Amino acid sequence: MDHLTDIELVALSLEGNAPAFEHLVKRHYGTVFRLSYKWCGLKEDAEDIAQEVFIKLAQKLKTFGQKSSFKTWIYRITVNTAKDFIRKSITKRGYENAYVIEQEDANPGPPVGHHLEAKRLVKALGRLPEKQKAAVLLVLSEGLSHQEAARVLNCPERTVSWRIFQARKSLKKYLEHPI
Amino acid sequence: MTTDNDKLKNLLKDLPVPEPSPEARERAVKAAMAEFNRRGAADKKNIKGFSFWGRLKNKTLKGGPMMTRKITYSVGLAFSLLLAVIVMMPNFVSYRKGATEQPPVKTVPAVIPPGPALDAGPVIREKALAEHKFDAAPESGYGRQQLEIAADFNRPAPAATGMPKLALESASVEKDAAFRPPDQTYAGRDRFETLTPNPVKAAREEPVSTFSIDVDTAAYAFVRRALNSGELPQKNAVRIEELINYFSYDYPLPADRSVPFKATVNVFPTPWNPATRLLHLGIKGYDLVPTGKPKANLVFLIDVSGSMNSPDKLPLLKNAFRMLVEALEAKDSVAVVVYAGAAGTVLEPTPVKEKGRILAVLDRLTAGGSTAGGEGIRQAYALAEANFDPKGVNRVILATDGDFNVGIRDPEELKGFVERKRQTGIYLTVLGFGRGNYNDALMQKLAQNGNGVAAYIDTLNEARKVLVDEAQASLFAIAKDVKIQIEFNPAVVAEYRLIGYETRLLRREDFNNDRVDAGDIGAGHSVTALYEITPTGSSGRLIDDLRYGSRPSPGGDRTVEQSGEYAFLKIRYKLPAAEESRLITTPVNREREYRTLDEVPEDARFAAAVAAFGQVLRGDPHVKNFGYDDVLKLAEAARGKDRFGYRAEFLNLVRLAKTARAMGDR
Repeated sequence: MDHLTDIELVALSLEGNAPAFEHLVKRHYGTVFRLSYKWCGLKEDAEDIAQEVFIKLAQKLKTFGQKSSFKTWIYRITVNTAKDFIRKSITKRGYENAYVIEQEDANPGPPVGHHLEAKRLVKALGRLPEKQKAAVLLVLSEGLSHQEAARVLNCPERTVSWRIFQARKSLKKYLEHPI
Repeated sequence: MTTDNDKLKNLLKDLPVPEPSPEARERAVKAAMAEFNRRGAADKKNIKGFSFWGRLKNKTLKGGPMMTRKITYSVGLAFSLLLAVIVMMPNFVSYRKGATEQPPVKTVPAVIPPGPALDAGPVIREKALAEHKFDAAPESGYGRQQLEIAADFNRPAPAATGMPKLALESASVEKDAAFRPPDQTYAGRDRFETLTPNPVKAAREEPVSTFSIDVDTAAYAFVRRALNSGELPQKNAVRIEELINYFSYDYPLPADRSVPFKATVNVFPTPWNPATRLLHLGIKGYDLVPTGKPKANLVFLIDVSGSMNSPDKLPLLKNAFRMLVEALEAKDSVAVVVYAGAAGTVLEPTPVKEKGRILAVLDRLTAGGSTAGGEGIRQAYALAEANFDPKGVNRVILATDGDFNVGIRDPEELKGFVERKRQTGIYLTVLGFGRGNYNDALMQKLAQNGNGVAAYIDTLNEARKVLVDEAQASLFAIAKDVKIQIEFNPAVVAEYRLIGYETRLLRREDFNNDRVDAGDIGAGHSVTALYEITPTGSSGRLIDDLRYGSRPSPGGDRTVEQSGEYAFLKIRYKLPAAEESRLITTPVNREREYRTLDEVPEDARFAAAVAAFGQVLRGDPHVKNFGYDDVLKLAEAARGKDRFGYRAEFLNLVRLAKTARAMGDR
């Protein structure tokens, strides 16, 4: 089934083809998990978010309009789910701290200088307003174009650019003067 | 600039992300497949994929948007009514249970996200959605998510083995809900610091007890709110000292104004234990004479984030501040800082003479965005500093539901910030609003570290109490860093236990250390502390004598020990502008000892009743033979004048607690 496109898999799924749907889920699990993790900074939470995303995917499959690309669509569900998860999360832990600790335990990782900066960056990301955070993660981290991000976030392209511009300013400020 | 941008981009690109665990991945796939299969089955049942809800929507759409809304609402209303009927008639539910495979709403109460009563309408419609599997496009809302999954569990499970995690959770929720009445101990997501009741201590081994006073009242208001909605509050929410200090007591005032307050001590039989006595310590601060009122320089720091958008938050808050502005004097000044996604000053310091302007700004506030509380606090302090009046009262009043999720988010960092600002002479008042997401632990931390008080505003009446009736006490501190140290005389007192103040305990050496922060007393405030003491030779002792412990007390004076004094009380405080503390000492002798409860002053008896109530609510072991009825009897006889009706309200709360317990399983 690897040769089938996302759109084709969706079409098959809509006809009730369970293996096609399963394939779709497995294909995108990595992406969804990655973005969720960047959003919340905790592995367990990211796993919960990812699971939630795919349950929603099953529910919403019918509403998937062929107009948008599947990638855009799944990114959108992920961003929304992650937002909700953070808002409603029972334990409002300091996500950025948890992230850092986990990193230190899990893998000695890249050279110290880079690692330190990444740590601070994650902390700074946590302080951005949600909308800016979404724009930054999608464009700068996930590598979407401004246009694609605009589709994910359902806003004009210039808004995405503006949010990234704003976020860059604050990120730099945070990085230069960590509180 | 560009290099910076590139660097940022590279960093973001290479953010380290761990591998998801294979189990989690497997779980997600299973959960999604289960959902997929369920959907498929559901679709086949519906006529060509059109659900009832979908068809309804299609029809109504033809009638134009206005029509749609009407019909949608009336359908919603019809379902609400239907559901209300079902919920109210347990018999009907059991009848339905027997008759159909899919029992109706019985699962729903437990999974509805906690929300204010006014939200009931939409919530009920969500119930209807969940129950009937309408195919309204699912939104990102978690509440609905859970509802649908929970409701779905009445069907045969599609993947019985390796059930997905989320679904499992919902299943247990559903099961619990089916067997439990809807009224139960409210766990919620409100965050409280964990409380462990103070242990009984042997006076021979540890004669000295030290704590900071606490004039906050937040716990009482929170407990009231829980009880008023038919639930027992979570144990950690019950801070007994705050319950007691919610009420004002007419303890004797100091003879002259050279000392800001006076301490009164009574000893009387413990209502809940005939073998022990209560040592009751009452402190009353003097009132300000109206002419001597210092100028107030206030900065309102108001949370207008999305989470404040509920009738018991922002609208209540606006009314509360309006009342406060009305109660201020023309010379006072007010500034307003709001924070949501970003923090901003919406009103520069403005004299209360221009009341209209202040009120207009308050009126315009609306909620939206996430919460940059940290930045807001910074701006508020900056304004207070800019307008600082060395002779006046400088205070930041923070009103929030405590959900800081942007900016300084780490409680320790925030704490550090207000702690540093404390030295500038700016006081902090924290007003908590709302429920469901209330972060009490953080609010307490902020207030305690920022020379401040914390109150919880659940009703307009409470706002009036805190901001108008007790405005003097809330705004004008007459003494700060008030610490209490009691040394018990082991010749008379065998054991003692401090009731409440668990979060305010200090180390013995902190008492004389002026750098250790403690609570403040406002003008006219009264503070009460109670110790349960077990006299030597009483049958009620819990701790055995040490086999090798009959040595004389180290360094003590034997003749004083034989004097029959219960204890020696020391109070340290600082005047508001001072950095050095002063000391008040007084022996607790048998002068103010009462043989029977009836002779005890009303105020002391009432305080004992409130203490008993708090302990019963928490299920403390020391009050096991004392129930809500006993509390009622004790409090009823000690109501006194009760000018504002607070004590009458307390009696009502005790009755509510009794009912809530009867309904819950605690």
